[in-house]
Amino acid sequence: MIQIIDKNSSLDEAIKSITKTDCSLAELTRAVELLEGESYSRTLRVGVSASITADLFDIFLRKHGLLNGAKVNITKGNYADPIGDIDLFTQVGVEQIVLLPFFDNLLPSFETQLESVDPSIIDAKEAEMRQLYRMVFEKARSVSAIYLGTFHRLGVPFDNSGLDTVAIVLERFNAALREEAAAFANVSLLNTEDIVRVVGHNAAFDMRFYFRSKAPYTGTYMNELARRIAAAARGFGAHFYKVLALDCDNTLWGGVIGEDLLNGIKLDAHDYPGNIFWRMQQEFASLERQGILLVLVTKNNLADVEEVFRKHQNMVLKESQIVAMKVNWQDKPSNLRALAKELNLGLDSFVFLDDSSFECEAVRQQLPMVKTVQVPAALSDYPRVVGEIKSLFLAGGIAADSKGKTEQYRQRAGAEYFKAQFDTQEEYLASLKLKVELTRNARISSGRISELSQKSNQFNLTTTRYSVAEIENMMSSDTHAVYSLVVSDKFGNAGLTGVIVMRYEGTAAIVENFFMSCRVIGRGVETSIWPRVVADAMQRGCTELRAAYLPSAKNAQVGDFYNRLGMPMTKESECVQQYVMAATDISAPPNPWIEMTYVE
Amino acid sequence: MLNETVLKQVMATMLNVNASIINEDSSMDNVPSWDSLRHMNLVLALEEEFKVTIPDEDAGNITSYKLIKLVLNDLGA
Repeated sequence: MIQIIDKNSSLDEAIKSITKTDCSLAELTRAVELLEGESYSRTLRVGVSASITADLFDIFLRKHGLLNGAKVNITKGNYADPIGDIDLFTQVGVEQIVLLPFFDNLLPSFETQLESVDPSIIDAKEAEMRQLYRMVFEKARSVSAIYLGTFHRLGVPFDNSGLDTVAIVLERFNAALREEAAAFANVSLLNTEDIVRVVGHNAAFDMRFYFRSKAPYTGTYMNELARRIAAAARGFGAHFYKVLALDCDNTLWGGVIGEDLLNGIKLDAHDYPGNIFWRMQQEFASLERQGILLVLVTKNNLADVEEVFRKHQNMVLKESQIVAMKVNWQDKPSNLRALAKELNLGLDSFVFLDDSSFECEAVRQQLPMVKTVQVPAALSDYPRVVGEIKSLFLAGGIAADSKGKTEQYRQRAGAEYFKAQFDTQEEYLASLKLKVELTRNARISSGRISELSQKSNQFNLTTTRYSVAEIENMMSSDTHAVYSLVVSDKFGNAGLTGVIVMRYEGTAAIVENFFMSCRVIGRGVETSIWPRVVADAMQRGCTELRAAYLPSAKNAQVGDFYNRLGMPMTKESECVQQYVMAATDISAPPNPWIEMTYVE
Repeated sequence: MLNETVLKQVMATMLNVNASIINEDSSMDNVPSWDSLRHMNLVLALEEEFKVTIPDEDAGNITSYKLIKLVLNDLGA
């Protein structure tokens, strides 16, 4: 018993150590090793390939893994051998790779050579560097994520314009890296010049070990680099936020609309403190444009809030940018639950922002899966806090198709409004003029397909997640096919919203997974696509269709999907239901209201 | 006065060995895990722990317990 208490208190100490910013290296090492002895539901193998000595990086990456609830196992590459490293990494099965090239090391003391060296040598170096990374990316296609640190300078410029030769060549080489990386959807860039800027040049480098051992970075730099990688990896798979839930009074504007009235609240482009709220609204609006869903959760009279949105001349956010709102006097946890249900999204995809300690605490207590953020008492700190919120949503990158999400969700809400006007559901569906475009192996959409596989929880038959590389591999293999569908109706285009992954084995066509975005469900789309998929399989000589449903905490709504498709269940256990039927027996219900097109 | 218990702990942590095997005679030659890469992190950890800056010329050379002790004592740790 005493031992258990000791163990818990030393774990508490270790957690304190990794959370504080001024933890010494020895203390950090001890804390990380102790905490890694616990069991974790998520463990992750990461390969680190650097053109410098980066041993110090490991402990900080492991720390940021633990801070996100994941145990990170690191495979170290060799010194400045990215190609050999990728071979090594793929052998041991790393899931993510960190690539750290180094500008001053491209040639010995490269920065100081630039003024004097023949320009043709710089050209040749650039060409070689491009070739090298092209090969590295090509070899690492099967790795789900690669984080590539860009080049930064080691010295400081003496030319006050900041545009000396080093700066010019550096920018050119970074542009080259960006160009080479652009062709590979699994590569994300990390701006290392910004890391140097944020931690400060003097705090970033330790020149003693650069000249002795080619180890230029301090722990401070490594910590910030690791923190950014963890953020870009969305907490190593810990979260995928989609919704920002906003309070109104003292969050969107200063003051209380119910008391200060329309002309009394603080919201202004120029004057303090209204200018802070105005600036924050610009930030929220920009998040909305990048595909984040904004909702209101606020204790106010609806008429008051509507008045601000419609009549306040400095209001930045428009009602059209708010996908749903709960403006009432009920408790916020209940309102958040209701919003999650309405939007068909899990509460763990919500970030909640409120100025009240009481409301924040209530949500933290009752809905710990919601990320709760409080507006700081010192208003000048508000932009920094909103910056952190932005990084929660954006650090992992946003697929282009995610943009304008509010538009699509609103279309769905609009469609629900229309629902009441028709006698039968079929009449209603026919009036929508639904169009489904089914495509086999749409390589150009592999990024969006992977993203959808990561995001879909409720309509996801096996909850298998796919990386971009996995999708691309299956698209080019003989044994797999990836079908994707784009749904549109008279309200607009819902984008790529459904995916079937097929595997072919002898005479069997096996549904590896089927997942859809919840916003197109309930219109017969999910059943209408199967005749074509099965016809393709029969053409390949398959006579049998097999499928499985793996129950998860969130996908109960599709528990009977294959039954609805007319497939008999052949095996049932707690963790899987299996279905088999002859390919010729497929008789998906006819959905005459859907216009299907098929693209090879 | 240099706290040798803390010194041994830091060395053990950074060299990834049990604290009991670090003694007066420990050096890069007889502690197998003490390689040049670990050595670098050891120097950084010693600097942080004892709040000193180890001069460039010493940093690479303090490859034994006795030399580390000597340098840290000189620096007033």
